[in-house]
Amino acid sequence: MTFRVLDPTPEKAPPIGQLAPRLGSLRGKTVGFISNGKEGTKGFFAHLDRLLREQHGVADVVMRTKSNYSAPADPHIVAEIRSWHAVVSGIGD
Amino acid sequence: MPLDSRTYEAADIAAVQELYHANGWTDGLPIVPPTAEAVQACLDWAMMPADQLIGVEPVRGLAVTAEKLAINAVMAGCLPMHFPVVATAWTAMMQPEFLMHGATASTGGCAVLVVLNGPIRLELGASGGFNALGNSDRATAVIGRALRLCLINLMDVRPGAIDRSTLGHPGKFSFCLAEDEEDTTWLSLAETRGIPKEASAVTVMAAGAPRQIMNEWTTKPEEILETFAAEMRANLRHYSIHPGNYALIIPKQLREHLQAAGWSKADIASFIHERARIHRREWAEVGKGAVVRDRGDSVYPAMESPDQLLVVAAGGPAGGFGAVIPPWLGHKSHAVTVPIGACIDCEPPKQ
Amino acid sequence: MTERFVTAAEMMSRVLGMPDYRFARIGHPVSSATDAELAAMARRALEQGQPLLVR
Repeated sequence: MTFRVLDPTPEKAPPIGQLAPRLGSLRGKTVGFISNGKEGTKGFFAHLDRLLREQHGVADVVMRTKSNYSAPADPHIVAEIRSWHAVVSGIGD
Repeated sequence: MPLDSRTYEAADIAAVQELYHANGWTDGLPIVPPTAEAVQACLDWAMMPADQLIGVEPVRGLAVTAEKLAINAVMAGCLPMHFPVVATAWTAMMQPEFLMHGATASTGGCAVLVVLNGPIRLELGASGGFNALGNSDRATAVIGRALRLCLINLMDVRPGAIDRSTLGHPGKFSFCLAEDEEDTTWLSLAETRGIPKEASAVTVMAAGAPRQIMNEWTTKPEEILETFAAEMRANLRHYSIHPGNYALIIPKQLREHLQAAGWSKADIASFIHERARIHRREWAEVGKGAVVRDRGDSVYPAMESPDQLLVVAAGGPAGGFGAVIPPWLGHKSHAVTVPIGACIDCEPPKQ
Repeated sequence: MTERFVTAAEMMSRVLGMPDYRFARIGHPVSSATDAELAAMARRALEQGQPLLVR
């Protein structure tokens, strides 16, 4: 007895994301951090801030922390990305 | 309207099982083959066209249609009469305050607790009696399971992929119960959350595993409820200090004492709100001294307000037991209640 | 990404339409790392991340 059965998944290809243009260098740039605010992130990002300025001549580092570490970044943080040259964010625990 | 989904052929029932398991489309248990006929029957019962948009999941930008929900509902073992409940529960889960992506991806490993209220329980044979938190009846078993299959197949919530649950708990197979509205003097859960008694409704909550308490040595409400509060304090100490929705499941034996003393669900919620709280310094007693710091005197209530307590009358008739069901993590996700609607100004299905 | 979340990052990259998206991997966990370990993670993040940001 042949079964004809249906696909339970969305089957829709996600919209293809676009990689933003790469920078020529980090020197003189503004880098933003989007942190989930979990234990340890303060120290981690403090070290990263220092290394970016000391070793790569980054002019300014902006630190933003999500209001809810289990949700996407707040809209006002996402809007601010436009004024940065690069973003550092991640998933971690 | 023809269905939109791709069709696969399988020679026999065993081949169907292997097809779905191999593609990661199951929860590990056998599924009911979702044929076009079975899926269409669900859509017809709910008077939904296949392409009816149930909602758009915001993190993925994913449109969820009635057809895709119905396919997963059939796979779970749902009959057409179960499908409107599945669709309503999924609608509730897609409300922003439920935070579906966060709740279902988190290492915290919560499941989706589903509580049924109103006349639909009787229509479906959903029993709020014996084994309410286990395998009580077909309806609650398959409705709860359908939601997990929807998460797996529509949201890629698979272990090690988007589902980062460290442990999870057995409620992730199915975690649905009906309230025993016939054998209580209390308002139903849905009524306490604003739904008229005549309507049927679904409440969803991102929930940890149930913790069973026992107190058959008193009839005094304060003493009975103190045991529930103590279990909530234990959750604050052992798991998470953050306030949010808690569900209390109160079976008949304990419920009768509370009702006889004239305590309503609102009275219970006020009492529990006061009693279920700890000081931060208590964390030092359970191995968490490292994070007490200088805030030992801070007080942490289990709930920000009494209305975060979901009291449900359910369970078998004997046994001085109750259950505390804690939140996934504080108030990141809020419980959501949605009435089960009949669309009164829709076009009838076209023949 | 901390190491234990690499598969989550790969999955989300695929779900969001950029399956080959590259990222840095920095060990795990952050929550109980010492300050020296966090400094080492930051160095690792930068070693891997800097080439991803510039041409």
